[in-house]
Amino acid sequence: MEEAKERTGTGKKRVMVAIEEHECSHYALEWTLLNLKPTISSPLLLITVQPFSPFTYVAAASYSSPPQELIQSMQEHQKQAALALLEKAKEICAKHGVDVETITEMGEPKEVICQVAEQRNIELLVMGSHARGAVERFFLGSVSNYCVHHAKCPVLVVKQDSGKKN
Amino acid sequence: MEEVTATVVMEGAVVGPEGAEATTAEKKGFKVVVAVDDSENSHYALSWAIDYILANRREDCQLVVLHVQHFVETTFMYPVAGHAVYAPTLSMDAVRKAHEENSKRVISRAVDICKSKHVDALTAVADGDPKDAICEAAEKLHADLLVVGSRGLGMIKRAFLGSVSDYLAHHAKCPVLIVKPPKGSHK
Repeated sequence: MEEAKERTGTGKKRVMVAIEEHECSHYALEWTLLNLKPTISSPLLLITVQPFSPFTYVAAASYSSPPQELIQSMQEHQKQAALALLEKAKEICAKHGVDVETITEMGEPKEVICQVAEQRNIELLVMGSHARGAVERFFLGSVSNYCVHHAKCPVLVVKQDSGKKN
Repeated sequence: MEEVTATVVMEGAVVGPEGAEATTAEKKGFKVVVAVDDSENSHYALSWAIDYILANRREDCQLVVLHVQHFVETTFMYPVAGHAVYAPTLSMDAVRKAHEENSKRVISRAVDICKSKHVDALTAVADGDPKDAICEAAEKLHADLLVVGSRGLGMIKRAFLGSVSDYLAHHAKCPVLIVKPPKGSHK
Protein backbone atom coordinates (compact mmCIF):
# COMPACT_ATOMS: atom_id res chain seq x y z
CA MET A 1 0.00 0.00 0.00
CA GLU A 2 2.89 2.33 0.68
CA GLU A 3 4.42 1.97 -2.75
CA ALA A 4 2.23 4.17 -4.86
CA LYS A 5 2.27 2.83 -8.35
CA GLU A 6 1.27 6.25 -9.57
CA ARG A 7 4.59 7.72 -8.69
CA THR A 8 6.37 9.10 -11.72
CA GLY A 9 10.11 9.08 -12.03
CA THR A 10 10.89 12.49 -10.60
CA GLY A 11 8.06 12.41 -8.10
CA LYS A 12 6.11 15.01 -10.01
CA LYS A 13 2.49 14.35 -10.59
CA ARG A 14 0.01 14.81 -13.38
CA VAL A 15 -2.23 17.58 -12.15
CA MET A 16 -5.51 18.73 -13.55
CA VAL A 17 -7.25 21.94 -12.60
CA ALA A 18 -10.97 22.28 -13.15
CA ILE A 19 -11.90 25.67 -14.50
CA GLU A 20 -15.43 26.76 -13.77
CA GLU A 21 -17.28 29.95 -14.27
CA HIS A 22 -16.41 31.35 -10.92
CA GLU A 23 -13.24 33.21 -10.24
CA CYS A 24 -12.53 30.75 -7.46
CA SER A 25 -11.07 28.38 -10.05
CA HIS A 26 -8.58 30.98 -11.10
CA TYR A 27 -7.76 31.56 -7.49
CA ALA A 28 -7.25 27.82 -7.05
CA LEU A 29 -5.04 27.75 -10.12
CA GLU A 30 -2.94 30.64 -8.83
CA TRP A 31 -2.58 29.03 -5.44
CA THR A 32 -1.49 25.77 -6.97
CA LEU A 33 1.06 27.45 -9.20
CA LEU A 34 2.39 29.53 -6.37
CA ASN A 35 2.71 26.74 -3.89
CA LEU A 36 2.94 23.47 -5.72
CA LYS A 37 4.67 24.37 -8.94
CA PRO A 38 7.75 22.26 -8.31
CA THR A 39 5.56 19.23 -7.87
CA ILE A 40 3.64 19.50 -11.10
CA SER A 41 4.73 17.50 -14.07
CA SER A 42 4.43 19.24 -17.37
CA PRO A 43 1.99 19.90 -18.88
CA LEU A 44 -0.58 21.08 -16.44
CA LEU A 45 -4.05 20.12 -17.57
CA LEU A 46 -6.88 22.58 -17.52
CA ILE A 47 -10.36 21.31 -18.03
CA THR A 48 -13.54 23.19 -18.54
CA VAL A 49 -16.89 21.56 -19.05
CA GLN A 50 -19.87 23.17 -20.65
CA PRO A 51 -23.10 21.95 -19.19
CA PHE A 52 -26.04 20.92 -21.35
CA SER A 53 -28.49 22.15 -18.72
CA PRO A 54 -29.54 25.59 -19.95
CA PHE A 55 -31.54 23.96 -22.64
CA THR A 56 -34.07 22.55 -20.23
CA TYR A 57 -35.33 25.90 -19.11
CA VAL A 58 -35.12 27.32 -22.59
CA ALA A 59 -37.46 24.60 -23.74
CA ALA A 60 -39.83 25.33 -20.89
CA ALA A 61 -39.79 29.05 -21.54
CA SER A 62 -40.62 28.56 -25.18
CA TYR A 63 -43.60 26.37 -24.38
CA SER A 64 -42.34 23.76 -26.75
CA SER A 65 -39.20 23.22 -28.70
CA PRO A 66 -37.20 26.43 -28.70
CA PRO A 67 -36.16 27.98 -31.97
CA GLN A 68 -33.01 26.58 -33.41
CA GLU A 69 -31.28 29.94 -33.54
CA LEU A 70 -31.84 30.51 -29.85
CA ILE A 71 -30.20 27.23 -28.96
CA GLN A 72 -27.35 27.90 -31.27
CA SER A 73 -26.76 31.37 -29.96
CA MET A 74 -26.81 30.07 -26.42
CA GLN A 75 -24.33 27.40 -27.27
CA GLU A 76 -22.16 29.96 -28.98
CA HIS A 77 -22.36 32.24 -25.99
CA GLN A 78 -21.46 29.43 -23.67
CA LYS A 79 -18.53 28.43 -25.79
CA GLN A 80 -17.28 31.98 -25.82
CA ALA A 81 -17.54 32.20 -22.07
CA ALA A 82 -15.70 28.91 -21.63
CA LEU A 83 -12.97 29.96 -24.00
CA ALA A 84 -12.55 33.25 -22.20
CA LEU A 85 -12.13 31.43 -18.92
CA LEU A 86 -9.58 29.11 -20.43
CA GLU A 87 -7.69 32.00 -21.93
CA LYS A 88 -7.46 33.71 -18.60
CA ALA A 89 -6.30 30.46 -17.03
CA LYS A 90 -3.69 30.00 -19.72
CA GLU A 91 -2.44 33.51 -19.08
CA ILE A 92 -2.07 32.75 -15.41
CA CYS A 93 -0.06 29.65 -16.23
CA ALA A 94 2.09 31.48 -18.73
CA LYS A 95 2.82 34.07 -16.08
CA HIS A 96 4.20 31.32 -13.88
CA GLY A 97 6.01 29.70 -16.74
CA VAL A 98 4.03 26.51 -16.75
CA ASP A 99 3.11 24.49 -19.81
CA VAL A 100 -0.54 23.93 -20.24
CA GLU A 101 -2.82 21.56 -22.04
CA THR A 102 -6.46 22.52 -22.24
CA ILE A 103 -9.42 20.20 -22.43
CA THR A 104 -12.92 21.31 -23.25
CA GLU A 105 -15.82 18.97 -22.91
CA MET A 106 -19.55 19.16 -22.86
CA GLY A 107 -21.74 17.47 -20.38
CA GLU A 108 -22.46 17.38 -16.70
CA PRO A 109 -19.40 19.12 -15.25
CA LYS A 110 -18.93 17.06 -12.14
CA GLU A 111 -19.21 13.73 -13.89
CA VAL A 112 -17.09 14.71 -16.83
CA ILE A 113 -14.32 16.07 -14.63
CA CYS A 114 -14.12 12.81 -12.72
CA GLN A 115 -14.27 10.75 -15.90
CA VAL A 116 -11.52 12.69 -17.58
CA ALA A 117 -9.41 12.56 -14.45
CA GLU A 118 -9.63 8.80 -14.59
CA GLN A 119 -9.08 8.50 -18.32
CA ARG A 120 -6.04 10.71 -18.29
CA ASN A 121 -4.68 9.06 -15.18
CA ILE A 122 -4.61 12.26 -13.24
CA GLU A 123 -2.84 12.11 -9.93
CA LEU A 124 -4.13 15.31 -8.40
CA LEU A 125 -7.33 17.14 -9.13
CA VAL A 126 -7.52 20.78 -8.13
CA MET A 127 -10.80 22.56 -7.67
CA GLY A 128 -11.86 25.93 -6.50
CA SER A 129 -14.73 26.29 -4.14
CA HIS A 130 -17.05 29.20 -3.95
CA ALA A 131 -18.38 29.20 -0.46
CA ARG A 132 -20.02 32.54 -0.15
CA GLY A 133 -23.20 34.08 1.11
CA ALA A 134 -25.58 32.86 3.74
CA VAL A 135 -25.30 29.26 2.72
CA GLU A 136 -21.58 29.36 3.15
CA ARG A 137 -21.51 26.77 5.84
CA PHE A 138 -23.65 24.23 4.14
CA PHE A 139 -22.87 24.43 0.50
CA LEU A 140 -19.55 23.52 -0.96
CA GLY A 141 -19.96 24.10 -4.65
CA SER A 142 -21.71 20.98 -5.78
CA VAL A 143 -19.13 20.24 -8.42
CA SER A 144 -16.23 20.26 -5.99
CA ASN A 145 -18.29 18.35 -3.46
CA TYR A 146 -19.11 15.65 -6.00
CA CYS A 147 -15.52 15.37 -7.10
CA VAL A 148 -14.25 15.09 -3.57
CA HIS A 149 -16.44 12.07 -3.11
CA HIS A 150 -16.21 10.44 -6.49
CA ALA A 151 -12.84 11.16 -8.00
CA LYS A 152 -10.48 8.25 -7.73
CA CYS A 153 -7.46 10.45 -7.27
CA PRO A 154 -6.55 12.89 -4.52
CA VAL A 155 -8.48 16.12 -4.66
CA LEU A 156 -7.30 19.51 -3.57
CA VAL A 157 -9.99 22.02 -2.73
CA VAL A 158 -8.82 25.60 -2.57
CA LYS A 159 -11.30 27.91 -1.01
CA GLN A 160 -11.38 31.49 -2.01
CA ASP A 161 -11.47 33.64 1.04
CA SER A 162 -14.58 35.69 0.94
CA GLY A 163 -13.10 37.84 3.65
CA LYS A 164 -15.55 37.02 6.33
CA LYS A 165 -14.50 34.62 9.01
CA ASN A 166 -16.59 33.00 11.72
CA MET B 1 18.63 10.48 9.95
CA GLU B 2 16.32 13.23 11.06
CA GLU B 3 14.22 12.83 14.10
CA VAL B 4 11.20 14.62 15.43
CA THR B 5 12.41 18.01 16.49
CA ALA B 6 9.65 18.99 18.83
CA THR B 7 6.47 17.65 20.20
CA VAL B 8 3.60 19.96 20.85
CA VAL B 9 0.82 18.53 22.89
CA MET B 10 -2.32 20.56 23.09
CA GLU B 11 -4.19 18.50 25.54
CA GLY B 12 -7.16 19.27 27.67
CA ALA B 13 -10.34 20.45 26.08
CA VAL B 14 -10.53 21.52 22.50
CA VAL B 15 -7.52 23.56 21.50
CA GLY B 16 -8.14 26.86 23.20
CA PRO B 17 -6.62 30.24 22.58
CA GLU B 18 -4.15 29.70 25.35
CA GLY B 19 -2.90 26.51 23.73
CA ALA B 20 0.74 26.25 22.87
CA GLU B 21 1.82 27.26 19.42
CA ALA B 22 3.75 24.85 17.29
CA THR B 23 6.08 27.48 15.96
CA THR B 24 7.22 30.38 18.03
CA ALA B 25 9.14 31.95 15.19
CA GLU B 26 7.25 33.10 12.14
CA LYS B 27 8.70 30.81 9.52
CA LYS B 28 8.14 31.87 5.97
CA GLY B 29 7.93 28.32 4.78
CA PHE B 30 5.10 26.21 3.48
CA LYS B 31 3.39 24.45 6.31
CA VAL B 32 1.65 21.20 5.63
CA VAL B 33 -0.52 19.73 8.34
CA VAL B 34 -1.49 16.11 7.94
CA ALA B 35 -4.29 14.81 10.11
CA VAL B 36 -3.82 11.20 11.07
CA ASP B 37 -5.75 8.62 12.93
CA ASP B 38 -5.65 4.90 13.23
CA SER B 39 -6.75 4.17 9.72
CA GLU B 40 -4.61 2.93 6.88
CA ASN B 41 -5.97 5.76 4.80
CA SER B 42 -4.45 8.45 6.90
CA HIS B 43 -1.08 6.75 6.89
CA TYR B 44 -1.29 6.47 3.16
CA ALA B 45 -2.22 10.15 3.05
CA LEU B 46 0.82 10.99 5.12
CA SER B 47 3.10 8.97 2.85
CA TRP B 48 1.54 10.55 -0.18
CA ALA B 49 1.97 14.04 1.23
CA ILE B 50 5.60 13.39 2.02
CA ASP B 51 6.39 11.78 -1.29
CA TYR B 52 4.69 14.38 -3.32
CA ILE B 53 4.93 17.68 -1.58
CA LEU B 54 7.96 17.47 0.56
CA ALA B 55 10.01 15.64 -2.00
CA ASN B 56 9.67 18.52 -4.36
CA ARG B 57 9.72 21.38 -1.92
CA ARG B 58 12.01 20.13 0.72
CA GLU B 59 13.76 23.42 1.42
CA ASP B 60 10.99 25.37 2.96
CA CYS B 61 8.36 22.83 3.75
CA GLN B 62 7.36 22.11 7.30
CA LEU B 63 5.34 19.05 8.09
CA VAL B 64 3.10 18.77 11.09
CA VAL B 65 1.39 15.55 11.99
CA LEU B 66 -1.86 16.17 13.81
CA HIS B 67 -3.83 13.63 15.72
CA VAL B 68 -7.15 14.27 17.34
CA GLN B 69 -8.23 12.26 20.30
CA HIS B 70 -11.85 11.72 20.78
CA PHE B 71 -13.10 13.70 23.68
CA VAL B 72 -13.20 11.46 26.68
CA GLU B 73 -16.42 11.72 28.57
CA THR B 74 -15.67 12.71 32.09
CA THR B 75 -18.71 11.05 33.43
CA PHE B 76 -20.48 8.02 32.17
CA MET B 77 -24.02 7.58 33.15
CA TYR B 78 -25.54 4.18 33.10
CA PRO B 79 -29.26 4.31 33.40
CA VAL B 80 -30.12 1.38 35.56
CA ALA B 81 -33.81 0.85 36.09
CA GLY B 82 -34.44 4.54 35.82
CA HIS B 83 -31.65 5.59 38.11
CA ALA B 84 -28.49 7.05 36.74
CA VAL B 85 -25.36 5.64 38.17
CA TYR B 86 -22.05 7.34 37.74
CA ALA B 87 -19.37 5.12 36.43
CA PRO B 88 -16.69 4.27 38.90
CA THR B 89 -13.53 6.30 38.51
CA LEU B 90 -11.56 3.19 37.78
CA SER B 91 -13.21 2.50 34.51
CA MET B 92 -12.99 6.15 33.48
CA ASP B 93 -9.31 6.10 34.08
CA ALA B 94 -8.98 2.93 32.12
CA VAL B 95 -10.82 4.46 29.19
CA ARG B 96 -8.74 7.58 29.34
CA LYS B 97 -5.61 5.52 29.46
CA ALA B 98 -6.72 3.49 26.50
CA HIS B 99 -7.33 6.66 24.54
CA GLU B 100 -3.92 7.97 25.36
CA GLU B 101 -2.28 4.71 24.44
CA ASN B 102 -4.08 4.81 21.17
CA SER B 103 -2.98 8.35 20.49
CA LYS B 104 0.58 7.53 21.27
CA ARG B 105 0.46 4.58 18.95
CA VAL B 106 -1.00 6.58 16.13
CA ILE B 107 1.50 9.37 16.53
CA SER B 108 4.45 7.07 16.79
CA ARG B 109 3.37 5.18 13.70
CA ALA B 110 3.11 8.48 11.85
CA VAL B 111 6.47 9.58 13.12
CA ASP B 112 7.94 6.29 11.94
CA ILE B 113 6.66 6.94 8.48
CA CYS B 114 8.25 10.38 8.55
CA LYS B 115 11.52 9.04 9.80
CA SER B 116 11.63 6.35 7.19
CA LYS B 117 11.38 9.03 4.57
CA HIS B 118 13.93 11.23 6.27
CA VAL B 119 11.54 13.99 7.03
CA ASP B 120 11.40 16.25 10.04
CA ALA B 121 7.98 16.50 11.49
CA LEU B 122 6.38 18.28 14.34
CA THR B 123 3.60 16.46 16.05
CA ALA B 124 0.48 17.85 17.58
CA VAL B 125 -2.33 16.28 19.48
CA ALA B 126 -5.68 17.85 20.01
CA ASP B 127 -8.77 16.80 21.86
CA GLY B 128 -12.35 16.93 20.98
CA ASP B 129 -14.58 16.42 18.02
CA PRO B 130 -12.29 15.60 15.11
CA LYS B 131 -13.92 17.93 12.63
CA ASP B 132 -13.74 21.05 14.72
CA ALA B 133 -10.49 20.16 16.37
CA ILE B 134 -8.69 19.69 13.10
CA CYS B 135 -10.04 22.97 11.74
CA GLU B 136 -9.01 24.84 14.81
CA ALA B 137 -5.64 23.21 15.01
CA ALA B 138 -4.95 23.93 11.36
CA GLU B 139 -5.76 27.53 12.02
CA LYS B 140 -3.69 27.76 15.16
CA LEU B 141 -0.79 26.15 13.37
CA HIS B 142 -1.18 28.56 10.44
CA ALA B 143 -1.31 25.67 8.05
CA ASP B 144 -0.84 26.46 4.40
CA LEU B 145 -2.24 23.13 3.42
CA LEU B 146 -4.25 20.51 5.26
CA VAL B 147 -3.98 16.92 4.15
CA VAL B 148 -6.41 14.23 5.20
CA GLY B 149 -7.28 10.72 4.18
CA SER B 150 -10.64 10.31 2.57
CA ARG B 151 -12.52 8.33 5.10
CA GLY B 152 -12.21 6.69 8.40
CA LEU B 153 -10.84 9.68 10.21
CA GLY B 154 -11.97 8.97 13.70
CA MET B 155 -13.19 5.91 15.38
CA ILE B 156 -16.52 5.59 13.73
CA LYS B 157 -15.15 4.47 10.44
CA ARG B 158 -18.13 2.78 9.00
CA ALA B 159 -20.81 5.34 9.67
CA PHE B 160 -19.42 8.48 8.15
CA LEU B 161 -17.95 7.93 4.76
CA GLY B 162 -15.56 10.79 4.62
CA SER B 163 -17.79 13.16 6.49
CA VAL B 164 -14.80 14.55 8.32
CA SER B 165 -12.87 15.22 5.14
CA ASP B 166 -16.04 16.67 3.68
CA TYR B 167 -16.50 18.98 6.65
CA LEU B 168 -12.90 20.06 6.43
CA ALA B 169 -13.21 20.86 2.75
CA HIS B 170 -16.10 23.14 3.68
CA HIS B 171 -14.77 24.76 6.78
CA ALA B 172 -11.04 24.74 6.97
CA LYS B 173 -9.55 28.14 6.31
CA CYS B 174 -6.72 26.78 4.24
CA PRO B 175 -6.78 24.58 1.15
CA VAL B 176 -7.60 20.98 1.89
CA LEU B 177 -6.11 18.05 0.09
CA ILE B 178 -8.09 14.85 0.36
CA VAL B 179 -6.09 11.76 -0.42
CA LYS B 180 -8.02 8.78 -1.61
CA PRO B 181 -6.79 5.28 -1.07
CA PRO B 182 -4.85 4.07 -4.08
CA LYS B 183 -6.74 2.52 -6.93
CA GLY B 184 -7.50 -1.08 -6.48
CA SER B 185 -7.65 -1.06 -2.73
CA HIS B 186 -10.96 -1.54 -1.00
CA LYS B 187 -12.00 0.23 2.14
